[in-house]
Amino acid sequence: MAKNRDILVIGAGLAGIEASLLSAQAGRKVYLIEQASYFGGAAIKSEEVCPNMECATCMLAPKQSDILENKNIELMTLSKVTNISGESGNFTVKIIKRARYVSLVDCIGCGACFEPCPVSMDNEFEENMSKQKAIYLACAGALPNVPAIDMEYCLRGKKQEECTACKEACMFDAIIYDDKDEEIEIRVGAIITATGFKLNDSKQFKQYGYGEFENVFNAFEFERLRASNGPTSGIIQSRDGKEPKSIGLIHCVGRDNRGYCSQVCCMYLTKFAHYALDILPGVKVYQFYKELSIPEKGNQKFYHEVKEKGVKSIRAKEIEIIKNGNGAGLKINYQNEKAEKESVDVDMVVLAPYVEPFPGTDELGKLLGIELGNFGFFKTAEFDSVSTIRPGIFVAGCAQGPKFMQHVTTQAQAAAARALNITED
Amino acid sequence: MANNFKPNIIGFLCNWCSYAAADLAGSSKLEVPATLTTIRVMCSSRVDPVHIISAYLQGADGVLIAGCHPGDCHYQTGNYYTRRRFALLHKIMETFKLDPERFRLSWISASEGKRFSEVTKEFAEHIEKLGPNPLKNKPFIE
Amino acid sequence: MVKIGLYLCECGPNIAEAINLDKIAEQIKKDNKVAGIEQHKLLCSEDGKKFLVESIKKNEFERIVIAACSPKQHETTFMEVMSSSDLNPYMFQLVNIREQCAWMTPDKEAATSKALRSIRAAINRVRHHDALQQKEIDCNPDVIVVGGGITGIEAALRTAQKNRKVYLIEEQKLGGRLREYGLLFPTMQPAQEFLNKKITEVKNTGQIRVFENSKVKEILGFFGNFVATIENKDREEIEVNAGSVILAIGANPFIPTGLAKYGYGTFDDVYTAAEFEKMTSSNNITTKSGNPPKSVAIIHCVGRKRLGYCSKVCCTNSMKIARYIKEKLNGVKVIQFYKNLCLPDKKYDEFYKKTKEKGIEFLRFSDIEVTKEANQMMLKYKQENDNEDALPVDMVVLSTGLIPNPKTEDFAQMLNIPVDEYGFFKEEHMKLGPISTITEGVFIAGCAQGPHSINDSMVQAGAAAGKILSSLVPGRRLQLETKTSYVSETMCIGCGVCVDICAYGALTIDESKRISVVNEVLCRGCGNCASACPSGAARHRHFTTKQITQEMIEILK
Ligand SMILES: Cc1cc2nc3c(=O)[nH]c(=O)nc-3n(C[C@H](O)[C@H](O)[C@H](O)COP(=O)(O)OP(=O)(O)OC[C@H]3O[C@@H](n4cnc5c(N)ncnc54)[C@H](O)[C@@H]3O)c2cc1C
Ligand SMILES: Cc1cc2nc3c(=O)[nH]c(=O)nc-3n(C[C@H](O)[C@H](O)[C@H](O)COP(=O)(O)OP(=O)(O)OC[C@H]3O[C@@H](n4cnc5c(N)ncnc54)[C@H](O)[C@@H]3O)c2cc1C
Ligand code: SF4
Ligand code: SF4
Ligand code: SF4
Ligand code: SF4
Ligand code: SF4
Ligand code: FES
Repeated sequence: MAKNRDILVIGAGLAGIEASLLSAQAGRKVYLIEQASYFGGAAIKSEEVCPNMECATCMLAPKQSDILENKNIELMTLSKVTNISGESGNFTVKIIKRARYVSLVDCIGCGACFEPCPVSMDNEFEENMSKQKAIYLACAGALPNVPAIDMEYCLRGKKQEECTACKEACMFDAIIYDDKDEEIEIRVGAIITATGFKLNDSKQFKQYGYGEFENVFNAFEFERLRASNGPTSGIIQSRDGKEPKSIGLIHCVGRDNRGYCSQVCCMYLTKFAHYALDILPGVKVYQFYKELSIPEKGNQKFYHEVKEKGVKSIRAKEIEIIKNGNGAGLKINYQNEKAEKESVDVDMVVLAPYVEPFPGTDELGKLLGIELGNFGFFKTAEFDSVSTIRPGIFVAGCAQGPKFMQHVTTQAQAAAARALNITED
Repeated sequence: MANNFKPNIIGFLCNWCSYAAADLAGSSKLEVPATLTTIRVMCSSRVDPVHIISAYLQGADGVLIAGCHPGDCHYQTGNYYTRRRFALLHKIMETFKLDPERFRLSWISASEGKRFSEVTKEFAEHIEKLGPNPLKNKPFIE
Repeated sequence: MVKIGLYLCECGPNIAEAINLDKIAEQIKKDNKVAGIEQHKLLCSEDGKKFLVESIKKNEFERIVIAACSPKQHETTFMEVMSSSDLNPYMFQLVNIREQCAWMTPDKEAATSKALRSIRAAINRVRHHDALQQKEIDCNPDVIVVGGGITGIEAALRTAQKNRKVYLIEEQKLGGRLREYGLLFPTMQPAQEFLNKKITEVKNTGQIRVFENSKVKEILGFFGNFVATIENKDREEIEVNAGSVILAIGANPFIPTGLAKYGYGTFDDVYTAAEFEKMTSSNNITTKSGNPPKSVAIIHCVGRKRLGYCSKVCCTNSMKIARYIKEKLNGVKVIQFYKNLCLPDKKYDEFYKKTKEKGIEFLRFSDIEVTKEANQMMLKYKQENDNEDALPVDMVVLSTGLIPNPKTEDFAQMLNIPVDEYGFFKEEHMKLGPISTITEGVFIAGCAQGPHSINDSMVQAGAAAGKILSSLVPGRRLQLETKTSYVSETMCIGCGVCVDICAYGALTIDESKRISVVNEVLCRGCGNCASACPSGAARHRHFTTKQITQEMIEILK
């Protein structure tokens, strides 16, 4: 049987985007599926990307437009793989496309439907730090620029009320209340899985007080606080809206339990220190680290530049975060490099929880018939970190393990090379 | 007079950052002064000082150039050239008896819709205070 | 007079409610500069596009202005409509009266006059538009790989295909640094076995032509069409053609001669990690006195401060060495002196743990000095708690980082790519184009780009292959950027200002004519040269000074 030349890419973060663009450029038909209602992955949550502090949106948006405009690429949001059969060169893949309730064809993204919606709910993209309506766009500028209705919360969903507020507001007849989940079947020759990562929920590490003290933030929360299009329009503030005078950045949260270094946190915490010093005059910033992992060109320089601006870096053990008095203030107790007990009072703490596989990686692994490694990331061959044990299925990006964006890009490009090569006659 | 003076401001925006920021300001329904009309260029480095001088000669009350943050230019180094080119503009403006404040160079990234709105509002207000371009309707310069 | 058609899009209520389109139509009609004005509810809809094509054809418009949303939303959509209407897609201007007018101007009157200004400007601009054509050139899918280390080998294996030949050029023998290694971290497999398997694969791949003991004398040409002159082992010159070049010339270990406190070059039994590797590959570990060492210290981060970067492989490599020694020599004491452990892979914490379990000690130091007392080497060190101590050792291994291959500069000049502040090849974009360079078709991979492990080097090689497989497809022509710049032969004074500023090396001086020429394969269309040119000879297509000033004049009227 002739090989199928089409390529399926699962996950539309930086890795999935890059792999799709290269495959399509080679003239192949690409199916790019993304479980969320928007695409772009974790990178679009950042305001800036270290060490060069470039604007993340400016980096991703042109690539995202290329995806949307490319006739060879079919982006399917709110979609997941449900079944895979066949073999390298001839896979049959079933995909479920969840109902969006808004037409991707008719909607022009004017946003007129948000205001009249009576339901207010937490915005997940903003780490629940702001509210959205049941018909929503993940954030300003999210792509595709078409909202989705969350039927869990929409009054028409569980409550079965006859709300038509958004439909009435929409002048383009873009709302489809009877939209249905749709199962489709496609045939492809190769598959690239690029399902990325999430941050561990550090509540289990009680000593850091995450979930207990409101001013202990995790890294994504802090990114969104600094984001121009985020809940505070880029103003770093504690939960009660106050400007923090001091911030403690905690490295390696959960690393010892987990068993690996998450690669990116030393640098992004340094980036956070830069954010803070940049926009909060007089702020005191402390970095509490165990080991400093700042490989890659440019990183050491960036670290030292930021440090020189007045960051206090402390090698610390036995970190514990407690409440400081009656207010919202926090106290960080720790043991310093000289094994002395010390503490500092801060207004805000930011944690760097370990990077773990995106939820559902295990199920997807089963469907794809590929193994997972010790830590639940997709397992790849030694000295060939894009190949799985199953011919025709490749991995790219943080789905293979935590890494900086440059390595996400190279893996995606390398995975595309493999996929293109094995589907060549 | 300052009260009903409606300036005419030209904004050159680079395609990759500042033009996207202006779009984001719009889609976030943030106000941007109607006295600003934008011209899209691929990179801020496409804006030639000659364009700016001729803008003033044609009566522009203010000119804004906005591009990617230094280091972020979509074409590697374009905005560094922009910066250098316009560092000298002040001198030229003075010889034309133009207040250098009528010119603004800003770096606005694609996610900074809010900043686009703020920068342009502040600039427009400032131009309103400065009043009309003194070169306007002075035929002898043409 | 050219027939310009103006289309006003209501965008449902989005534009229609914020801007008085009737008033605009009325004013434009009075201006008498367009041949027809049409209004539509929703131009980007299927219905709207059909309407456009029919209307454009019926009215025989020659140039089109559409006042609607942002070009970021629908410029491509409407350019396709232009083509469907048998018009050149560039005879068109989209006016953004939605995002940058209707949506940012609450006052309807103000919005209307701003929209009117912008539309008039676009009408004035479109009159000066030129019909631009998509250009294509023939290209060669073959690949030149310079450097036959593990990166070059992998690059060759990943690019070689039925219709694609690869020329793999190596100064010495295939294998690179790995030829001198005993074991490989993190798998602890024998390096030579691993390497030989790869080399055999290269030799068995018919599409790869290997030139060992060969030199690259020159590479000319550009993306799609490079010509390299190779001096082979018999000192004959051979010319090969290819569409792309991968530079995989690797890096060298840093030699710490200038750093006196490590005793390198002063004391006998102080080695760099790379030198130690050589010993392991010959399987013979002894001190100068001929006896196996009873204690070995491995010092991390040697020279890191001077180099200005962390070399990423040395921490793990130090542990590999330690484990090797521990396994080989019974009862030997191995201590690692480190500052910060950099373990940049999910597998390395585990590797570290195993290393510790084997009884290898780890000691964090803040300062260290290698000295000799009587006949015994002594390590004097200071810890973070300011405790000072000394330790007698028989052998010291200095984990030094990787520094750029001295030939990096030559290739950089030959192919017009910059080197970074450390002397490695500089990537086009650290995050988005880590193996691309500003010279289209020239890629950098492995340690030539910066220090990397074998795995990361090989991924980079694969990435370069990905870029090549996707852009140079056998049997397909290369499509070029349309909105490039060009130089007017009559106006150009050959001053070379533009040549220096072009970030992509797209401009060169044609020595015979003493004028500058644009290589359209390389030009990315930023327009910087057009602004820089003192004589107005460099012109940016679709953004000519005429087009820009005509747009501007109308705004200022
Ligand atoms: C706080 C923080 C700051 C950072 N800052 C930097 C920085 O400054 N510089 C830098 O280089 N790196 C930084 N990083 C790392 C960077 O974010 C990642 O390297 C990069 O985003 C990973 O891209 P990816 O495509 O592999 O994964 P992701 O971005 O996670 O994308 C994966 C995509 O797959 C989708 N998906 C998951 N499962 C499925 C499924 N089953 N079906 C369909 N779709 C699915 C997800 O929804 C997601 O869109 C940072 C990371 C964090 C946590
Ligand atoms: C001491 C030490 C131990 C290491 N151990 C490990 C390990 O165990 N595991 C691991 O993953 N990584 C290890 N590394 C890293 C590893 O060495 C590199 O990842 C690897 O060598 C990179 O391969 P490369 O092909 O990019 O470069 P190189 O190995 O340096 O190869 C470059 C090749 O290019 C050739 N060349 C140079 N200039 C020219 C020219 N002008 N024309 C033609 N050819 C040219 C050279 O002769 C050479 O063959 C170690 C590094 C060091 C310093
Ligand atoms: S139907 Fe009502 S509740 Fe549901 S999304 Fe629309 S407006 Fe909101
Ligand atoms: S669904 Fe309708 S109202 Fe909502 S954004 Fe789309 S077009 Fe506008
Ligand atoms: S990158 Fe830094 S903070 Fe993150 S786990 Fe590794 S050492 Fe800890
Ligand atoms: S073309 Fe743009 S402005 Fe017109 S209807 Fe479509 S979305 Fe609205
Ligand atoms: S337009 Fe830009 S890329 Fe093209 S030749 Fe001019 S300076 Fe170079
Ligand atoms: S592309 Fe934005 S300034 Fe150059």
